[in-house]
Amino acid sequence: MRRYEFTKYRAFGPLYRITHWIFAGSCLVLIFTGYYIYNPWFTTMLETGTDDFTVANIRFLHFAAGYIFLGAVTVRVYLWFFGNKQERITDALPINKRNLKNFWGAILNYLYIKFHVPRLGHNALAGTTYLVTFLLSMVMIVSGFYLMFPESASWQHWGLAFFGGQQNARMVHFIIMFYFIFFAMVHIYIAIWNDVMFGEGLVSAIISGSKFLHIKRPEVD
Amino acid sequence: MTASREKNIADLRLTRRSFIKGCAVAAAALGLSESMVPRLLHFQECTGCTESLLRASHPDIGKLILELISLDYHETVMAAAGYQAEENLRETMKKYQGKYLCVVEGAIPTKDGGVYCKIGGRTAMDILAEVAPGSAAIIAIGSCASFGGLQAAAPNPTGAVGVRELVTGKPIINVPGCPPNPISFLGTVLHYLTFKRLPVTDDQGRPVFAYGRKIHDHCERRAHFDEGRFVEQYGDESHRQGYCLYKVGCKGPATFSNCPAVRFNDVEQWPVSAGHGCIGCTEPGFWDNMTPFEERLPEVKVPLGEGSVGSAVSVGRKVALVTAGAIGLHAASGVVRRLVKGTAKKDEVRED
Repeated sequence: MRRYEFTKYRAFGPLYRITHWIFAGSCLVLIFTGYYIYNPWFTTMLETGTDDFTVANIRFLHFAAGYIFLGAVTVRVYLWFFGNKQERITDALPINKRNLKNFWGAILNYLYIKFHVPRLGHNALAGTTYLVTFLLSMVMIVSGFYLMFPESASWQHWGLAFFGGQQNARMVHFIIMFYFIFFAMVHIYIAIWNDVMFGEGLVSAIISGSKFLHIKRPEVD
Repeated sequence: MTASREKNIADLRLTRRSFIKGCAVAAAALGLSESMVPRLLHFQECTGCTESLLRASHPDIGKLILELISLDYHETVMAAAGYQAEENLRETMKKYQGKYLCVVEGAIPTKDGGVYCKIGGRTAMDILAEVAPGSAAIIAIGSCASFGGLQAAAPNPTGAVGVRELVTGKPIINVPGCPPNPISFLGTVLHYLTFKRLPVTDDQGRPVFAYGRKIHDHCERRAHFDEGRFVEQYGDESHRQGYCLYKVGCKGPATFSNCPAVRFNDVEQWPVSAGHGCIGCTEPGFWDNMTPFEERLPEVKVPLGEGSVGSAVSVGRKVALVTAGAIGLHAASGVVRRLVKGTAKKDEVRED
């Protein structure tokens, strides 16, 4: 039996981890209630006189989860600039030589062509995906507020400029929902895959904050 | 009637009708009608807006054109015809330069020099370009004059556009709808008549007194929406019960109009009360982005390899399938690789 030597390193701070789980929870609620708002598939059929307020309550959950999501996005942007090294925006974007190399390395890694050493922070491919996800989150937030406050003059102005009307905004909002479903599926799979392949404890890292690297250097690039 | 109200000497117990009559008398006394000379220009349209206007009741069309305003040119209701009519147009344009209201009904085709709509041998573009600059303001009645309407729907063969695309430097009030409620149009005219200024509008140029709120928020079926009681298909038990039409494509949640509040032409009816969802006819481009009318969201045309067209849902399902497939393939190839090459490969990892 082969023995591996792992060293435990601190990767993610508590605020970062809490934000992650708020994202997970709010996105789950948003996707479920959002799809329900598109197609209310369970209803209070033929019961005039009940007072369970199904759709109104689901919409409330959607709006409340939207605000929570917005709060988490705000914290995430804050951590981009004021978090620890692994949490900062510059750590995982292919904007320097180190990360450009890592970006290509990550692609080869996921294609089983050439494995690369896990680093303490995110690889550059993940960092790029997170930036795209952030930008799409902004579209979701703007279109969401436009749909939520249709009579507000300012939202009407921005909504018209960006989407050209309520129905188009609803359409955009609906389609980007599928990106978030896609993202969640890939994200969970990749996390488990990395854990299985490299034993770095990636899944538990987002709970405990620590990762295990079998290199005796704190910085592995 | 309470005691305090009885003491109120200003309370003339006005009915709506006598109030309008009062306004008419006041307007005549002030000589307002002199400066209120609407010219109604008909371009690419079906005259549905005029038909709707002819059935107005507050005030009715007779009172409107005989007592309240001076309607000098209107293809449908004017007595003159041919050269005489066109002469009237030029005459009054000269006489009331800068004072008349120009009301436009119908879209204006711009392709091929605008040849697709001609009146008296002149294109709609020419006529609008001649009449618009001398007007005090322009009122676009109906969705065609406002946003292009059906003529401007893709692929828009005649290059039809609304007035706001062609005229600059003049206040333009859009009164969209297919047809618009006469109340919204007359409200705009009487607002101008009474206050000598145009009503407040939203970003689409629509007066907010009529287009300030979504249909959904004043709908008589709203309680059924909030309770989750929906018509699943036309003619089912829920439909007979008068439940919410959201799931059969009602566009009320995306459409700004006063339909549920004022309804149409004194018959207390509007589409939703008759059992069909709103089709969003007061919104720009509604033929493109509100169709199919019986579906919740428009069809998404995705230019895939074979030019296939899928609905938004089926695109989503495909994305989910592809994602699951990619994940499965990736996982399977990892397993296969391990079976073929053994387990001791992890030590081969190299730095980047």
